Amino acid sequence: MEQRSHIYGVLAEFATPEQLLEAVKKVREAGYRHIDAFTPFPVEGLYEAMGLKRNNVPLITLLGGLAGGIGGFGFQYWVNTLAYPMNIGGRPLNSWPAFIPVTFELTVLGASLCAVFGMLALNRLPHPHHPVFNVHRFKHASSDRFFLCIESNDAKFHVEECARFLHDLHAHHVTEVAND
Amino acid sequence: MAEQQYSAPESVTRLEQRAFVVGAVALGLAALGALRSPETFYPSYLMSFLLVLGLALGSLGLVMLQHLTSGHWGIIIRRPLESATRTLPLLVVLFLPIAISGMKHLYRAWLDPEELHKEPLSKFQQGYLTHNGYLVRALIYFAVWLALMFIFNGLSKQQDTNREDRALRRRLKMLAGPGIILYVFAMSFAAIDWVMSLSPHWASTIYGFLFVAGQLVSSMSFMISTVVLLARTEPFSNVLQARHLHDLGKLLLAFVMLWAYFDFSQLLIIWSGNLPEEITFYRTRLYGEWGVVAVIVLVFHFFVPFFLLLSQDLKRNRKVLPRIAMWLILMRLVDLFWMTRPEFTSRAVPTWLDLLLPIALGGLWLGFFAFNLKQCPLLPLGDPGLAEAIKHHEH
Repeated sequence: MEQRSHIYGVLAEFATPEQLLEAVKKVREAGYRHIDAFTPFPVEGLYEAMGLKRNNVPLITLLGGLAGGIGGFGFQYWVNTLAYPMNIGGRPLNSWPAFIPVTFELTVLGASLCAVFGMLALNRLPHPHHPVFNVHRFKHASSDRFFLCIESNDAKFHVEECARFLHDLHAHHVTEVAND
Repeated sequence: MAEQQYSAPESVTRLEQRAFVVGAVALGLAALGALRSPETFYPSYLMSFLLVLGLALGSLGLVMLQHLTSGHWGIIIRRPLESATRTLPLLVVLFLPIAISGMKHLYRAWLDPEELHKEPLSKFQQGYLTHNGYLVRALIYFAVWLALMFIFNGLSKQQDTNREDRALRRRLKMLAGPGIILYVFAMSFAAIDWVMSLSPHWASTIYGFLFVAGQLVSSMSFMISTVVLLARTEPFSNVLQARHLHDLGKLLLAFVMLWAYFDFSQLLIIWSGNLPEEITFYRTRLYGEWGVVAVIVLVFHFFVPFFLLLSQDLKRNRKVLPRIAMWLILMRLVDLFWMTRPEFTSRAVPTWLDLLLPIALGGLWLGFFAFNLKQCPLLPLGDPGLAEAIKHHEH
């Protein structure tokens, strides 16, 4: 792999989401595993076709929500009963019904912050540069073209073979992606 | 694509027959109870009536919500929803026992001159809570719901034949918004008349919404059970996909949360105010035997379904999701028991009528629902979104 390190992978361009989906399936069948797809809009079925596993964002969100909720309730409980007990209208110090709205809000806050930042962290975003940006035509990935990249760290990776294979799948352009 | 008729399978006919038989037998047995002791019969009857009313009216609300938002989830369950709304004529009939003889047993507090003398009502209440006012208003509520039922079922049926007529789609959408407002308005007033007036000295402004949210929970639960049951046989087995169940499950979670939110809002406001005339509602319901029922409702109507429905796998699971749904319908009954019964007794023990009457009314309702389901194709064939909604994405 060391001698190929100047190549990031092979990038193929497709005109329609259907062609891309078809290509992804064929590429997966051929045994390639380190692949990535780039589309201007979410393509239904692509996620499954690429064989992506479920990520951990839901778990992170759940933990964030629990932390927010328990923290929110706990903090109010601590303030009202231990740190600064105050008699408000003769109600008990642990007036739990009054704590629920804040507990709820902090559950939502904790869950949503963890969802957004957990997602960014797992995606390794922000990511200002990516090797595929070296390909001039890649700018079409944000308008009307669909790209599939077989990465050089794939066990089966071989530049010419990959390029030929992608050509056979009706790719418009197949380009080597430089790694810099 | 080959034209499919999507007619109801054999199993719906079997369900119809069985439900009618069970319902009729149970109602016959329960009628003996009505003769022996109307005092215990009518509170049970009211509770069971409110449960089946929720199944029908919640469906009316969801039909209109579906026309307004047009999601794939709604196209899948639209025909079952419409069939559930067409049970409203049965609910008019089921309301008659309350209107004819039940009122004087249920609404002692404002119908019995002796009770009125003991705890007088305000001038306005005396003018509003009258025997005839109650009946006239009930007539109006049913008229509103029946009108909505006829409009949305009629236009939907036209869509089946005039498939190219896009104006129908627009009209359904235009009518759905005002329709939802009318349904919620009528339901709010009905909740005040039929349930809140059991204790006329107590008032809550969110009471109607509590019922609307509860009805949405019942109806969505019933729809989930229905589609899973239908998907056991052709033609629905080719239609229902995990993504549909996932959407329905998400909505069920949202409705459970909405219900909990309304219920808690009422508790928080009354608890904070702690006013003698308001707090009575919770004094009777949060202590003693009723306190146990309150905990059961909190844990099994909210916490358990909430945490189960958070899971994506469970929402997509054909075995588990309908079980959660049916459990929630049972919990709706417990919640209605907790809402209505403490006005009559401090004992939170269900009588044999509390078991028999939900089966009786539920059986008749289910039979009528199954009968309605057979009258139309199981999918709205004229809906422009149908093809997209039932498309299979190959993996």
